[in-house]
Amino acid sequence: MIRGFRMEVALALLRVSLLTAMQYRASFMAEILVGGLSAFGVAAPLFLVYARVSELQGWTLDQALLVTGFFLLYNAFVAGLIEPNLGAIVDGVRSGALDYLLIRPVDAQLLLSVRRVAPVAIWELVAGLIVVAVSLGRLGEPSVAAVALAALLFGCGLAATYGLWLMVICTSFWFVRVDNLRFLLGAVSDAGRWPVSVYGRGIRIALTTVIPVALVSSYPAMALLGRLDFSLVGGAVATAVAMLVASRMVLMRALRSYSSASS
Amino acid sequence: MIQVRGLTKTYRVPVRPPGLGGALRSLFSREFREVKAVRDLSFSIQPGERVGFLGPNGAGKTTTLKMLSGLLYPTSGELSVAGHVPQSRAPAFLQQITLVMGQKQQLLWDLPARESFELNRAMYGVERAAFRSTLDELVAMLRAEALLDKPVRNLSLGERMKCELIAALVHRPQVLFLDEPTIGLDVEMQVQVRQFVAEHNRETGATVLLTSHYMQDIAALTPRLLIIDQGTLRYDGSLDELSRRVAPERRIVVQQVLPELAGLGFAVTEGRMVATVPAAEANALIQRLLTLAPLVEFGVEVPPLEEVIARVFAEGRA
Repeated sequence: MIRGFRMEVALALLRVSLLTAMQYRASFMAEILVGGLSAFGVAAPLFLVYARVSELQGWTLDQALLVTGFFLLYNAFVAGLIEPNLGAIVDGVRSGALDYLLIRPVDAQLLLSVRRVAPVAIWELVAGLIVVAVSLGRLGEPSVAAVALAALLFGCGLAATYGLWLMVICTSFWFVRVDNLRFLLGAVSDAGRWPVSVYGRGIRIALTTVIPVALVSSYPAMALLGRLDFSLVGGAVATAVAMLVASRMVLMRALRSYSSASS
Repeated sequence: MIQVRGLTKTYRVPVRPPGLGGALRSLFSREFREVKAVRDLSFSIQPGERVGFLGPNGAGKTTTLKMLSGLLYPTSGELSVAGHVPQSRAPAFLQQITLVMGQKQQLLWDLPARESFELNRAMYGVERAAFRSTLDELVAMLRAEALLDKPVRNLSLGERMKCELIAALVHRPQVLFLDEPTIGLDVEMQVQVRQFVAEHNRETGATVLLTSHYMQDIAALTPRLLIIDQGTLRYDGSLDELSRRVAPERRIVVQQVLPELAGLGFAVTEGRMVATVPAAEANALIQRLLTLAPLVEFGVEVPPLEEVIARVFAEGRA
């Protein structure tokens, strides 16, 4: 299904995007600094809340920190890969800059998805790993099965997130400017920083299926805490596969409608 | 190499009344208009041919080129390039073509051009050894040795176009679509680009389809011409044939002012004497001219290309 995928191409793209990011020293340093601050900003509200209560809907501070840790990892994925790449599609459609991408004998989806990397995301990645490790250190080591389940759910969540973003972005092939949809998606995803059980039933379902941000934050944390079993795996995999297949179909249809721009 | 039959492309364009009120109205009810950019276009191009694609702005040249390179889906009609249907965008097809757009750039703006070449090498899966020899060859032909390691944003327009051409050719494509490759370049750089395209075509036998606004590009590069206006093909043939058909007269220019020539129909223009006669009568007039003034220096001109093309458009629209 994915034609023309070659590891060599992915590596060459990665190299170029890192070289580009590092071309301007000041901007690179500033980005790294901002990334550090925003990683801190994700965890801060949690401490404010737990300064007043010791438990929130069955979650202690350490357990809720686990959710935050996964949310940071998810943010790193979105800020580092999804936003810069899929966001560039919107500009590319408007300016016709996709022309030179679409004539390459490489799968268009691959090119559109991995041609940029934002180094700023490194902080959220590091912060996420530290937060997960620290809270696990205080909560006790999870079983191998729990780690496998958490990783699987997290992976499915990332795949589903990517699919959802791609579908939303693809609407720009018809409507050209869809920046608002992007911001909406970002804002709603923010709900994932809190354990999903603090929300009402409707929102919980929405955060698991429509905008599957709970799949990348709360569920992996619940798996590590031993609150989930493998019965969820089927649903998570199905969600991920459905999102990936649907987004691929939408992209292929969208490319047919690409109208380029001027000469 | 290229077959086009009944090619048509229709765009659906939103129509918006002018002003703020119009913009507000169109937020709620949008009107669309269908624009036929290309209508029922048919032609075929043999391997190794160099063909010029000519037409005024908005004639449908770029749209056609983008359909031929698989970027745009045709609304109807049949297309075949190098044995493939372009819009399927099969890797085997994309390997064989290249597209250079004078108004857009594929080079990575912030990095030296060399990085763009290397990225293209990876994307087209070119072996390193073959890549190096192709690159050396292209760099030598374009005299671009000094340009490869400068960030692209520091190159002049002409230097950038040289690098654009290299980036477009590192995979040795069989079909070159060049959309106004000389636009904005100074005269010397235009000549260099023209020479390069001609030399590349001679050495690789690649097929070239070129659009340009500069008649000199067409005159120097493409023995065959396709003229398109309002999406419709107006002419397909050689430049000479076109001149004969559309501009059947010759201009006989005497390099000095001799009043006695007025009797033969010569008139004074800018310190020279010029007579315009039907091509068939040109020889007779020259005979009479030489009888009257045996030592006179003179030349025979066909009307300038711009004038000939303008007549084609005028005829088509009449």
